[in-house]
Amino acid sequence: MYQPPSLLEKWSQENNELVNKCKQQEAGGGAVSQDHRQSSLRWCSSEFHKLLRKIQGIPPHVDHSQLELAVVYNTCVCFTAQSQFSEAELLLKEATERVLQVTGNNADTSDPLVLWRAGLKSAGNTALHPHVLYLLCLQWALWLAKCQLENIGELQEQMSSLCEIVCDGVGDGSPSEAKGRLSKSPLLVMEPKRLTELLQICTSIAQGAEKLNEGRSSEALSDLQAASALPATRALVAYTHLLSGSCLAHMNRPQMALQCYKKALETDSRCVCALYRSMLIYRQLGNTQAEIQALRLLHSTLMLPPATEPVLGGIQPLSPSLLLSSQSLSRLLSVPSALSVLYSLALKCVLSGRVTEGVEHYLDLLAALHSEDQHAVDAEVSVLPRMPELYLEAGTALLFTRRPADCMAFCNEVISTTLELVPEKVVLEEPEEGIGGDARGLSVEGEDKVAMLLWAAAAYLVQGHCHAHLKDWKQAVTHYTRCINLLVKVHLKNRDFQPQIPAADVNVKHGKDLCTLQRMKGLSLAWRGISFTQMDQLREALRDLQLSLQAFPDYTGAGLWCGEVLWRLGRKHEAAACWEKTWSLTTQTSVEKLPLYLQDPQSGPLLDSVELRLRIQELGLT
Amino acid sequence: MMESVLSEDLYRNPHRLSHCGKTISFNCKRAPGTNDNEGSELIFCSLSFEREGNTFLKAADGAAVISRKRLAHVDIVKCKSVTDAQKRATAPCVLVIKKSEKRSSFQYSLLTLSSSNRLEPCVEFKLPYQMKGAVYILQGPTVLWRHEGGVLYTSPQAEGVRQVPIHFSHCVVGELPLHKGQVFVLGLQKLPEESTSQTLGYFVEDGQVFDGSVILPHLYISITQCILVVAADRVDGVLKCDVVAATSNRLLVYFENGVVKDVCQLPFEQPENIQVVNTGRYGSLFAVSFCEGHVCTIWKETFQIAALWSSVTSIHVDDFLGCGTDQMLLVFKDRIIALEEFLITDLCGISFSHGQDTDAPKTSPPPSENYLLTLKALESRLQSGLTVLQELQREVTVKESVLRQSVKALTDVVSEREPVLTQHEQEGLIALWDSDDESKNEALDDKIHDIPAVSSKPRIDKLWHRTTEGRMVVGVILTTDRSAPVTNVSLSILTDAGQCSRPAVIQTQSQVFWLPAACSSPSSSSSSSFSASTFPEPPAKKSKQHNAISTNDLNACRVAVTAVTKLTPLLNSGRVKCHVMLHYIQTPDAFSFMSNQRPVVLHCGQVALDIQNNLHTELLKTPQLIADEVREDFLSLLAVLDHWVFHIDSPEYSLGDINGWIQKRVGCKKIEVSPQYLLLNSSGPSALMLLNWHQITPFQGELHVHSSQLQMFQFLDSLLAYLPESCSIQPLKGAGGKGASKMFALALEKELVSLREYASLLLCEEDEEKLKEKCFGYKETPDAGSVEGLQKCRAMCQRDLERSNMKLSPLVDVGQYRRLIQSMSKIQLNGDLAALLDIQFSPLMCCSGFHG
Repeated sequence: MYQPPSLLEKWSQENNELVNKCKQQEAGGGAVSQDHRQSSLRWCSSEFHKLLRKIQGIPPHVDHSQLELAVVYNTCVCFTAQSQFSEAELLLKEATERVLQVTGNNADTSDPLVLWRAGLKSAGNTALHPHVLYLLCLQWALWLAKCQLENIGELQEQMSSLCEIVCDGVGDGSPSEAKGRLSKSPLLVMEPKRLTELLQICTSIAQGAEKLNEGRSSEALSDLQAASALPATRALVAYTHLLSGSCLAHMNRPQMALQCYKKALETDSRCVCALYRSMLIYRQLGNTQAEIQALRLLHSTLMLPPATEPVLGGIQPLSPSLLLSSQSLSRLLSVPSALSVLYSLALKCVLSGRVTEGVEHYLDLLAALHSEDQHAVDAEVSVLPRMPELYLEAGTALLFTRRPADCMAFCNEVISTTLELVPEKVVLEEPEEGIGGDARGLSVEGEDKVAMLLWAAAAYLVQGHCHAHLKDWKQAVTHYTRCINLLVKVHLKNRDFQPQIPAADVNVKHGKDLCTLQRMKGLSLAWRGISFTQMDQLREALRDLQLSLQAFPDYTGAGLWCGEVLWRLGRKHEAAACWEKTWSLTTQTSVEKLPLYLQDPQSGPLLDSVELRLRIQELGLT
Repeated sequence: MMESVLSEDLYRNPHRLSHCGKTISFNCKRAPGTNDNEGSELIFCSLSFEREGNTFLKAADGAAVISRKRLAHVDIVKCKSVTDAQKRATAPCVLVIKKSEKRSSFQYSLLTLSSSNRLEPCVEFKLPYQMKGAVYILQGPTVLWRHEGGVLYTSPQAEGVRQVPIHFSHCVVGELPLHKGQVFVLGLQKLPEESTSQTLGYFVEDGQVFDGSVILPHLYISITQCILVVAADRVDGVLKCDVVAATSNRLLVYFENGVVKDVCQLPFEQPENIQVVNTGRYGSLFAVSFCEGHVCTIWKETFQIAALWSSVTSIHVDDFLGCGTDQMLLVFKDRIIALEEFLITDLCGISFSHGQDTDAPKTSPPPSENYLLTLKALESRLQSGLTVLQELQREVTVKESVLRQSVKALTDVVSEREPVLTQHEQEGLIALWDSDDESKNEALDDKIHDIPAVSSKPRIDKLWHRTTEGRMVVGVILTTDRSAPVTNVSLSILTDAGQCSRPAVIQTQSQVFWLPAACSSPSSSSSSSFSASTFPEPPAKKSKQHNAISTNDLNACRVAVTAVTKLTPLLNSGRVKCHVMLHYIQTPDAFSFMSNQRPVVLHCGQVALDIQNNLHTELLKTPQLIADEVREDFLSLLAVLDHWVFHIDSPEYSLGDINGWIQKRVGCKKIEVSPQYLLLNSSGPSALMLLNWHQITPFQGELHVHSSQLQMFQFLDSLLAYLPESCSIQPLKGAGGKGASKMFALALEKELVSLREYASLLLCEEDEEKLKEKCFGYKETPDAGSVEGLQKCRAMCQRDLERSNMKLSPLVDVGQYRRLIQSMSKIQLNGDLAALLDIQFSPLMCCSGFHG
C-alpha cells in the first residue's frame, strides 16, 4: 500500500532545498543588483516562514524539534537580513516557548532574558542544545542590531559559552561531530560559526564605540585590540584598528593613533575614515604639510567611484552594517563629503601659503558646485560656507596670486547677487552676555540681511584691495568708500558695548557678525587712508587711519600708516609714539579664524619696520 | 404578548441551507390556532434571488406538523443539502429533535424536502440522550454524531442506530467526492501494547478499515477541527486525495496524499466548516466559517487569504445567479421569509449586496482592519505572481547562458579554433616537473673523494641515533664558523669495515635543521643521498637537491644534520657499528650555485646500533621538558615524518587564532625545546603529528605539517571546516619555497646590475680617451660675438654632433666585448638555476598533488 513519506523527512528535504536555493542565489549574486538580492531574500524569507508555519502547525514534538529550530533559525536570518526585527524576535520567542513545552517545562514570563535562561537550561545536554544556541546567536544579533548592548551584557556568560561551543567545536574531529554529519541534520542558511564570529567582532566594535563615547578609552582600547585578532572581514578588522586609533587619540597619544589609522588603511584600503582621522590628527599636531597631503588623498579617495564590496565565498545574508547601527559608532565612522573636504583643502592651502594650489582647489570646488545637480548640492550646503563667502574667499585667493582681474569678476558676482537684497538700515542686536555667540537664531531673516550686507561690503573691500594692488588709488578709494557706506548702515543696539576694547576673548562673545563688522570697518578705513596717503591727501588719510584705529585698534597696519602720515605731516614725535604704541600691541587676533577675505591683503605699499625704527633713532639723536 | 415575542424570536436567525440556486430556511414554531393542544410545526420558506430587484423573493413555502403534543419541545438540530442515495439526487435535509416532557428520551427525525415542496420523514430514531457536540448530516443521508467516545450513525440503509466498531481517541469526519459517496471517519486508535497511536480510517457505508494517514498525517488528527476533501481518486485500489483541513492552531493546511502541501494562517479561532467555491475561470476559493460569525476565504491556487467578513449568520455556496459558477451568499441579518442584509459575491466581479450601507464597509466590526486584510490578501496574490515571474526570469537567464556557451563552442568547432580553456581546466593539465639536474651534480659529486685542506672545519658537538619502526635516525649537531659557512650539508652512513675489506655506504636521506640557538626560525632542508658502490671506488653520490642550504648560511652557527636509513640492511649485515660521515661544501659566497668549491667529507664518529634506543619516548612523555634528549627526539621525529608546507591565504577574511584552535585539539602539547612546534598525539605514536603555524599577516600564514599522509589529510579536512570559505590552501613544495623565490629575485637583480656595470665599463673606457682629447682641444668657450668666434662655435657644434652620433652606435674592443659576454653568461647561468629552483618550490595547486 502507498505509504506517504513522514512529515519530518518531507520537511527536512524542503528545508534543505530552500537553503540550497538561497545559497545558490547568493553565490551567483556577484553581478546581480541590490534589488535582485533583496527580492530573492524576500522570497526566501516568505518560503521559510511558510515552511515554519507548516511545522509549527502541529503540537511541538521531540522528533521534530531539531528541524523546527533549524527552520526558525533560517527564517529569522532572512527576516533579520531584511531588518524585520520584531517579526524575527517574535519567532524566537515562540520557538523558545515551544522548546520549553517539548522539554516539559513552563515559563510564564515575557522577559526575554528569563525565557532564554530557562530555554537553555531545559535544552541542557539534549540534542537540541546546539540549536537553541544558534537561536541565541540570532537573538544576540537582534539585540546588537537594535543597539541593546545591555541585554548582551546580561547574558555574557551564556554568550561566551556559546562562542566556545559554536566556534571551537567546529572541525575538532570529535565523535559528536562525526555523528552529526552522518545523521542528516537540517541545513542552515548561514553557518552559525560565521554568524558567531561576525557577532563577536561587531559586538566588540559596538561596545568599543560605546565605551569611547563614555570616555572609557583605555578600557575600550584593550577590548578593541583583542578584537582585532578575531576572524573577520577586512572591513571589520580595519574598524577595530580605526577605533583603537580613536581611543589613542582620546588618550592623547597622537603618534600611536596615527599608527593605528595606518594599520586600518593597510588592512582595508576602503577605510576612508582612517584617512580622515589621520588628517584630523595632523591638524591637531600642526603638521600643515601632512594635513594638506592627507586632505588631498582623502578628496581623491572620496571622488573614486564607490568600491563594490568584494564577493566572498558566497555573500552572507547578514551584513555587518546591519549589526553596526549604533549612533556613537556612526558618528565615529562618519566622513565629511568630498566637497567639504575640497573646501578644507583649498582654505588650508591658501592659509599655509600654497596659494596657487589653493586657488585651483577653490575653482574646482566652485565648478563642482555649479555642475552638480541641485539636489546633491543642497545636501552639501549645510556643511559648506554660503556661496557668496566661497566666492569672496576664492576671489581673495586669486588676489593673493596676483590675478586682480579675476578677483574683481568674482566680487562683482557677489555684489550683483547681494546688493539688491541689502536693506537700508540694519540693527545688529548684541547677544546677551550669558547666551554668548550661539544665540544667532533670533531672527533668521534679519540675520540673513546682515549677512548680505556684510558680504556686499566685503566684496567692495576686496575690490578696493584689487585696485590698490594695481595702484589705481582713485578707484581704490571709491571702492573702500562704498564698503564703508554699506557698513555704516548697521546700527549697533547695545547699551554697554564698548567698541574701544574688543579684546580677543570678547570677540567670541560678541558674535561673529559683530567681529566681522568691526574688522571690516577697520580694514576699509585703514586702506582708504593708505590710498589717500598714496595720493598725497594726507589729511584725509590721517582722519581715516585714526577712525580705523578707533574701530579696530588691533590692526597694526593702520597704526604704522597712521604714524607714517603723521611723520609726513611733520608731526614726527607723534609719529614715533604711534609706531611705538603699535609695536607694543601684542594681541594678535588669530588669523586662521577670520574669513579669508578679511585678512590683510598681501600686496600693496609696505612699511619697513626696520626703516621706521631707524627714523625714530634719528629723531632721538637729533 | 408572550406569543408575539416568541414568534418574533423564532423568525429570527432561522436554519438555512442552499439548494439548487435557492436558499431555504427552516424554523419551528407553535402551530397557529387558539387550541392549546396544537403541537409544533416545522415551516420552511424557499427564496430565490431576483437580479433586477437585487433581492430575494419567495419561491415556495410550507409547513409540516412535527408533534401534536402540546408540551413537547421541538428544535431543529441541523439542516443540510445532501445526496440521497436512493433517489440519486441532492435533497435538503433537516434534522429535528422532539424532547419529551420527562426528558428521558429524545426522538430525532430527519426530514427531506421533496421536489414538490413537501417535507417527508426520512429517518426516525430515538436516543436516551441528547446529541452534544458536532452532528453531521452526510450523504446518504447519514446522520453521524459522537457519544461517550463512540461514533454513532444512522441512515435509511443502516436500519437503526449503529456504532463504528473502533474506539477512537480523536476523530475527524469527512466525505470523499467519489461517484459513490464515501463517508469516512478518521481517528487515532491507541494500541494497547505500545504507547504510540495509529491513524485508522473507517468507511461508514461498507465498514472497511484503512490507513488514515493517506488522508491526514498522524500528527494532525488531534488538532484538526474540520476537513474538506477537495478531490479523491482510487488508483489500483490506492486512495489518492487532496484535503484541506482547518486546525486548532489557526491554520488551514492543504494535504496532497497525506503530505502537507501548503499552509495559511487563519485570522480567527475555532473553524467550523470549510466549503469550496468554484468561481469558474478565476479558480476556486475555500470559504472557512468560524464560530461567532467570522468568515474567511482563501484562494485555492495561491493559498492566500482573499477576503474576510464578520457578523455573518450563515454562509452558503451555490449558483444563486444562475450563471454557471458558484457564488457565496453571506447572510448578515436573517428572517425566515426574507434576507434583510446579505451579500452575494464570488470575489471575481460578481457582487450584489442588500441592506448594507454602500458607503459603510460591508463588514461591521473593525472595518479598516478588514480592508487591510483584503489589501494584504491582494498583495500576497500579487507577490506570488511576482515570484512566479522571477522564477521564470531566472530560468531564462540560465538558459541564455547555456545557449551562449553552446554557440561559442559551436563557432569554435566551425572555425577550427582551439577552445579557450578556463583556468581550472588548464590547471588539471600542469605537468609535474620533477626531473633533477643530474648531469651538473654528477660532475660535482665526482670530486668528492679529493678531500681538500680546509682551514676551519665544522666542529662536531654531538652524535646521536634513534631507531623507530624499522628505521634508524642518525643525527649530528655541529658548530660552523661564521666566516666560512657550509652548504650542501648531508650525512652518510658507512658500515664498519669489520671482516669485509670494504665498508658499504648505506642509503640515507639527510635533513638539515638550523638550531634556534643560532637562528630564530628553524628552517630545514633535506637532501637524500643514495649509494650502492663500495668505498675505494668513488661513492657516486647522487644528490637530489630539494633545497640547497642557501642564504641563511651566513647567519648560522649551529646546525643539526640528520640522516634516516632503513634498519634492515644494517641488521642483515650483522653490523652494529657504523661510521657517520658528513659531507659539505665550504664557500664564502652563498650565491654561487655553480661555484667550483669541492665537497668535503668529515668523519663524525661511530654509532653503535642499539635497537632499544627508541625514538621520542622522552618527547612524548614530557614535551614540556628542555633537555638534549628531548631535542634529539624532536629532531629525529622531524627527520622521520613526512613534511608538508601549506600556504594559507584568505584575502578577505582574517584567519583568527589558528594556533589557539590547534592547541584546543585533543592531545595537543607545546614542545618546549622548539616552542613554535606543537605536538599532536591524539592516538598513539603511529599517529604523531608535528605542527608549526607561522602567521605572516592576519590574512595569511604558513602551516608546516610533519606527519603521515593520511593524518595530514585528516587534519586539513578539519582545518578547512574552521577556516573561512574564501580561503585558499596551497601546498608549497618542500620547505623554504620563499627562500628560492627570494634567491631568484636576487639572482635577477645581480644579472641586471652586472649587465649595467659591464656595459658602462666598456663604454666608459672608450669615452675616457676621447675625453682627454677633448679637454686639450677646447678649454674655453669662444666668444660668439665675433665672426671668428662664431665659426669656432659652429665647428664645435659640428664636432659635438659627430660625437653624439658616435655614442649612439659606439665601437668597442672585441676582446673586451668577449669578456663581457663571458661573464654575463656565467651570471645568467646562476639566474637560470635560481629560476629552476623557484619553479620547483613554487606553490602548486592542490589537484596537482601534494607530493609532486
